[in-house]
Amino acid sequence: MLSTSEVVRSRLLAREGGEEVYELFIGPQHPSSGHMRFIVRLDGDVIVSVDPDIGYVHRTMEKLAEGREAVKAIPLLERMTIIDSHNVTIGLVRAMEKLLDVEPPPRARYLRTLLSEINRIASHLYGIGIAGIMLNHSTMFMWAFGDREVWLQLAEELSGARLTHTYSIPGGVRRDLPQGFADRAEKAVRYMTRRLEEYAKIFLENPQVRSRYEGVGVLKKGEASRLGIVGPNLRASGVKYDARLAEDYAAYSEVSFEVPTLEEGDAYARMRLRIEEIKQSMSIILQVLRKVPEGPIFAEKYLKLLPPKLREQVLSTGRVKLPALFASMKLPAGEAVARAEMGHGEIFYHLISDGSAKPYRLRVVTPSFRNVILFRYLMPGHRFMDFPAIYGSLDYFPPEADR
Amino acid sequence: MGNLVRSFVGHVRAVATGLRYLLLPNRMTVYYPEKLIELPEGYRGLIRYYPELCVQCGLCAMVCPAGAMKMYVKKGEKRGRPGVNYQRCIFCGFCADICPQNALEMTKVHDVAYEKLEDMILSPEEFAREVRSPALEEGAVKVKVIFSEERGLVHEPA
Ligand code: SF4
Ligand code: SF4
Repeated sequence: MLSTSEVVRSRLLAREGGEEVYELFIGPQHPSSGHMRFIVRLDGDVIVSVDPDIGYVHRTMEKLAEGREAVKAIPLLERMTIIDSHNVTIGLVRAMEKLLDVEPPPRARYLRTLLSEINRIASHLYGIGIAGIMLNHSTMFMWAFGDREVWLQLAEELSGARLTHTYSIPGGVRRDLPQGFADRAEKAVRYMTRRLEEYAKIFLENPQVRSRYEGVGVLKKGEASRLGIVGPNLRASGVKYDARLAEDYAAYSEVSFEVPTLEEGDAYARMRLRIEEIKQSMSIILQVLRKVPEGPIFAEKYLKLLPPKLREQVLSTGRVKLPALFASMKLPAGEAVARAEMGHGEIFYHLISDGSAKPYRLRVVTPSFRNVILFRYLMPGHRFMDFPAIYGSLDYFPPEADR
Repeated sequence: MGNLVRSFVGHVRAVATGLRYLLLPNRMTVYYPEKLIELPEGYRGLIRYYPELCVQCGLCAMVCPAGAMKMYVKKGEKRGRPGVNYQRCIFCGFCADICPQNALEMTKVHDVAYEKLEDMILSPEEFAREVRSPALEEGAVKVKVIFSEERGLVHEPA
């Protein structure tokens, strides 16, 4: 049997003039690397190179979606980023709507914005919590995950499910606002505002945490756009790009919000930027609740396909009934693209239809797939202990890359 | 020196924030199965089938994205009735939403455990039975969720 030191020696890659490079495999293991493997080369404890080895959660969703009717792709694809399930599918629904030539009514657009922002906050809290535990700051992990429950509860009341909301469908949304929702959401916002101050005290302004993040994993502005980075990781490097502004979807053109950016581009800036984004999301939620117009939540085009009794039921209960056509809805032949801003960054859909009920091609470019390249660029030159600090600050979500 | 002072203040503030919660813990955990959270209206839990309302149109089985709902055709009958396979169901609620007769209803029960995989496949007859929460049957206390500015979520006896 090999002794431990011999096992380690067996990965020795090169020995030149007293310098030794070791190869270290991290993962795939759920609580450390995530559902992926990193092949790290180390000189002493200095990182020489990192190869992110993705594909361990490959579920061939794009291919599966081509084998079933279009609406069935919604619950399927929302599992890509289960922590942000409305934002991950809203692009798909938009692409379908473009092909079907149907627009959601104004109230539905506002409700989409509402759930999208609730999802964004929950997604950021998830990321902040995971980043916390990667630094062994278990308080940050516990707090962020606990507070995420508040937003999951709101999402559950709105959609009927904790995580897999399947809320937006072509032509609108499935449920109207429940009674007293605005009041509960406002309480949640006030609670979270105070908690963010505490997050700053216990985590972000904690000298221990700052020394782990500041000046670590710096992504320069030019490099960020050259590599095609998206989301908070891009904005923390000073590039003001947000798909909520670039693509007209939901009610984003009707609410005012800022797209925060920071110049430093280090791990610390990325973490701070997420906190700023949570504040903006909360402001959007409050505006939506104030401004949401009365009216139907489902397109007239589909509502009128329902028998009169059901139509009445939809109006009185605020819960959409699907017309029979939805079981095998034909997508007119053609192509459509759509993008949306998720918690992790921009998601892009390309849908091609040959006129049948099943998409001829459905392709997705997810934010984590675009950001995974950062592991290769940001890590080299850092000490190995910086690896989890940088990883956490990127809010990278392996199942989203492996679509 | 300035740095040292800033760092010292930062540490004290971090520890003080933590200490506050040591003295006044903010716990959101609910002790299931002794306590059971009351789920919101419209929650998508296990499904109940009302055969007397059903017109056997088969739409529910057609729309099911997981292939969980299936039509069971009895001998001598032309059209079937739906049964569900809970090994596959993802609780999307499409079946209940497309049913023109409201013959399918998503209940608020979600905490059912099965002993055998086969038990998770429900024939139309089994599908029509009332769905019961085992925790409630064992005497769990129902709690409701209250939003609070101070504590996020609080659970009070319903
Ligand atoms: S809830 Fe969804 S997955 Fe489950 S049986 Fe109904 S349609 Fe199928
Ligand atoms: S959709 Fe409703 S009416 Fe039609 S078969 Fe299913 S349960 Fe029966």
